[in-house]
Amino acid sequence: MIQQKLRRSMLFVPGSNVSMVCNAFIYQPDTVMFDLEDSVALSEKDSARLLVYHALQHFTYKDIETAVRVNPLNTPFGILDLEAAIRAGADIIRLPKTDSVDDVLEMEQEIADIENRIGRQKKTMMLAAIESALGVVNAVDIARSSKRLMGIALGAEDFVRDLRTQRTKAGSELMAARNQILLAARAAKISAFDSVFSDVKDKEGFVYEVNYIKGLGFDGKSLINPNQIPWLHKAFEPSIEDITWAQEVLEAAKDSKIRGLGVVSIDGKMVDAPIIARARWIVDLAKASGVLGEEV
Amino acid sequence: MITFSLVPSTSTLRLAKIKEFLALFELECSEDVESFVVAKEDAKIIACGGIAGKVLKDIAIDGLYQGKHLALKLMSELLHVAYEAGRQELFLFTKPCYVEVFEDCGFKYITQAAKTIALMENHQNLEPYCKSLRALRVKGNKIGSLVVNCNPFTLGHLHLVKSACATCDWVHLFVVKEDASYFPYVTRLALIREGLEGIKNLTIHEGSDYIISKATFPTYFIKDKRKIDSLFTELDLNLFRNHLAPQLGITHRFVGEEPLCVVTHEYNQQMKKCLAQVGVMPSIEVVEIKRIYHANEPISASRVRKAMQDGDIELISHLVPSSTLYAIQNILKKQEK
Amino acid sequence: MQQNIIPSHAGTLESSDLFVRILPKKEGGVSIELESSVCEIYADAIKKTVLECANAFGADGMSIIVQDKGALDYVIKARVQTALLRAFGMNELDWSVL
Repeated sequence: MIQQKLRRSMLFVPGSNVSMVCNAFIYQPDTVMFDLEDSVALSEKDSARLLVYHALQHFTYKDIETAVRVNPLNTPFGILDLEAAIRAGADIIRLPKTDSVDDVLEMEQEIADIENRIGRQKKTMMLAAIESALGVVNAVDIARSSKRLMGIALGAEDFVRDLRTQRTKAGSELMAARNQILLAARAAKISAFDSVFSDVKDKEGFVYEVNYIKGLGFDGKSLINPNQIPWLHKAFEPSIEDITWAQEVLEAAKDSKIRGLGVVSIDGKMVDAPIIARARWIVDLAKASGVLGEEV
Repeated sequence: MITFSLVPSTSTLRLAKIKEFLALFELECSEDVESFVVAKEDAKIIACGGIAGKVLKDIAIDGLYQGKHLALKLMSELLHVAYEAGRQELFLFTKPCYVEVFEDCGFKYITQAAKTIALMENHQNLEPYCKSLRALRVKGNKIGSLVVNCNPFTLGHLHLVKSACATCDWVHLFVVKEDASYFPYVTRLALIREGLEGIKNLTIHEGSDYIISKATFPTYFIKDKRKIDSLFTELDLNLFRNHLAPQLGITHRFVGEEPLCVVTHEYNQQMKKCLAQVGVMPSIEVVEIKRIYHANEPISASRVRKAMQDGDIELISHLVPSSTLYAIQNILKKQEK
Repeated sequence: MQQNIIPSHAGTLESSDLFVRILPKKEGGVSIELESSVCEIYADAIKKTVLECANAFGADGMSIIVQDKGALDYVIKARVQTALLRAFGMNELDWSVL
C-alpha cells in the first residue's frame, strides 16, 4: 500500500502562469499540483507542458510533493503531458474526469509503459478526480481499481454542472458526492480530497467549508490561491487536548513494545492499531502545523 | 480573476462597451481597428487594445490597475494575436508619457506629435530605410521633394513634377505605398514611371511605411471621414522632416494647390507651418503649385475616376497622359466583358 | 540543411517570464537579439542558454528575439524550446534535446 503522508493542502498552479510556477513552492503547500488541463488555453498547451517539465526538475521542487493534472488521454495533449510529467519526476498524476475503472486502468497502463520505456524506478502515483455523477456512482470501484491510486478527489465545478445545479455556500448539492467519495476512499484505504473553494476573498466561507469537510473526514482540499494555505493549515491544526492524547498513546505503544507486551492500554482502555495510526497522524499534523517541534 | 478575449470590430454589442471604455480616456475608437483584445475582471472592462493591420492602437488601461503588470499582460495578448496573424513588423500608437511602458514590450520610439501621440515600432526598419535613402542622395543647392498617391497619374501630376524639376537641382518623388486606393500600388507606380520618363533630375522612390502610410497617417485613408486629423498630419510630417528629409538633403517640398479636396487643402496648410518651424533639423520650404485646368475645372485624379464611372473616355483623354489613358481603356474594356 | 522555419513566438512580457520570437533569416546561422529588464551582467548567460537550446535543435538561418523579464534559467529554456518546436512545426517531442 502507498505510504500515506500528510496532504492537507494541494495547491493548483496553472501551468501557463510563470510566476505561479516559479513561486508556488514558497507557500509550502503539502502538494503542488501543476495544471495542464482546464486552466491552460488550447494555444498554450505546448508551452505549459514544457514549463512544468522544467520546473519539476528544478531544485525548488525537490523537497515538495508534486502532482500534475494532465489532459485527458483522448485529447492530442494527454499522452504528451503524461510523458513530460513522468520524465520530469512528478510524484503523482492527477487523472482528469474519472468516470469509471477503465479510465484508471487505461492511465495506469500508459504510466507503466512510459516508466518502462524511460527506466523510471520510482512508481508514479495516481490521484483520480471524480467530476461527474457517473464517477460518483462508480467511486467505490474506482477507489479500489489500482495500487497506484493514493487518493480520489472531488471536482465540484464540473460535478454540479453535471447535476444541473450550481454551488452554494451551504453545499447541500455536494453532500451525496462528498459522502460517497469519502466512504469509497476509506473503504479502499486511500486519501480523500475535497474540491476547490473559488471565492478567494471569502475567508469566512472558506474556513467554514474546511471545518465542514474536515469534520466529514477528508484528508485535505485543493486550493486555487496561496492565501488559502495558512487558513487551511490553521483549520487542520489539532487541539492541545488531541495532541496530548496522541502523544500519550504513542508513548504507551512504544513502552509496550520495549517491554514486549502484546497489548497497549491507556487508563485501562485497550488501544489497537487504528488508534495508534490515528495518534501518529495527529502528531504528524501537529508537527506540520508548527505547534509541535520536530524532536518529539 | 482577469480574463482576456478577442472582440472583432463587427460584434456591435461588445464594441459599444469598448467605445464607452475608450471614451473614459478621451480616446476615440479608430475606424480601421479590426479587432480588440479586451481584459475583464468581474465582467467589467479594465483594459483593451486594438489591432489595425500592422498597427496596435487604442490601448487603454484602467487607472485603478497601477504599475505595468496589466499593461504587460495585455501587450502579451495583443502581440500574440498580431504574430499569429503573421504580422511580425508592428507599429504602435500611444501617448508620449507611456512610451517607456511599451519600450518594455520591445517597441522603439520613432516620433511624436505634440504631447498627445507617439509612434513606435517593434523592429528596426527605420534606420536601414534611412540608410538606403542616404545612398540615393544627390548633391545640389535646391533639392525638392514630393509625396504623391496618383490615383491615377494625371496631366496635373505631370505638371506638378515638371514644375518642381524646373526649379530644383534634383527632385525626390515618393509614391504612397498603401493599397487603399482604386488603383493598386503597382499600377500607380508603373503609370508614374511611364508618365515621368525622360525627366533627368528626378528620383522616383518606392513608398514605405514611414511616409503617408496607415502607420504614420491612418486618417488619410479613411475617406468617408472627410476630416483631417491634425495630430497624424503632424506625426507624418515630423517623421519626414526629422528622419527622411535629412538623408537626402531635401530643402523644398512641392504640393499641388488644392481648390476642391478639403483633406488635402488642410494638409497643405499644416504642412507649411510644420515644415517651416525652426528646429534641430533644417526647415523645409513648402511650395504650392497652381493647378492646371481643363474646361474650367481643375484636373484631378478624382475627376478622372468620376469620368471612368461615366465611361467618358473623351474627357479622360484631356486629363491624363497617353500611358494612363491606355491603362484606363484596358480597365474599362475588361469591365465591359 | 534547408530548414523551413515558421515565424513563431512563446512566453509573455510578464514579470519572471520571457517573450521570445523566432524569425527566419536568409543568411545562415543563428542571431540572438536580447533585451533584458534585469542587469546587463546576465545578458551573456541568457544568450548562452538561448544558443544552447537552438544548437540542440540544430537550428540554422533564424533570428531569435528575446525580451527577458527576469526569467529563471529553466523558464528561458522552456520558452525558447517552445518557440523552436513551433518554428519547426514539431508536435512530437524529442526528449533528448530538451
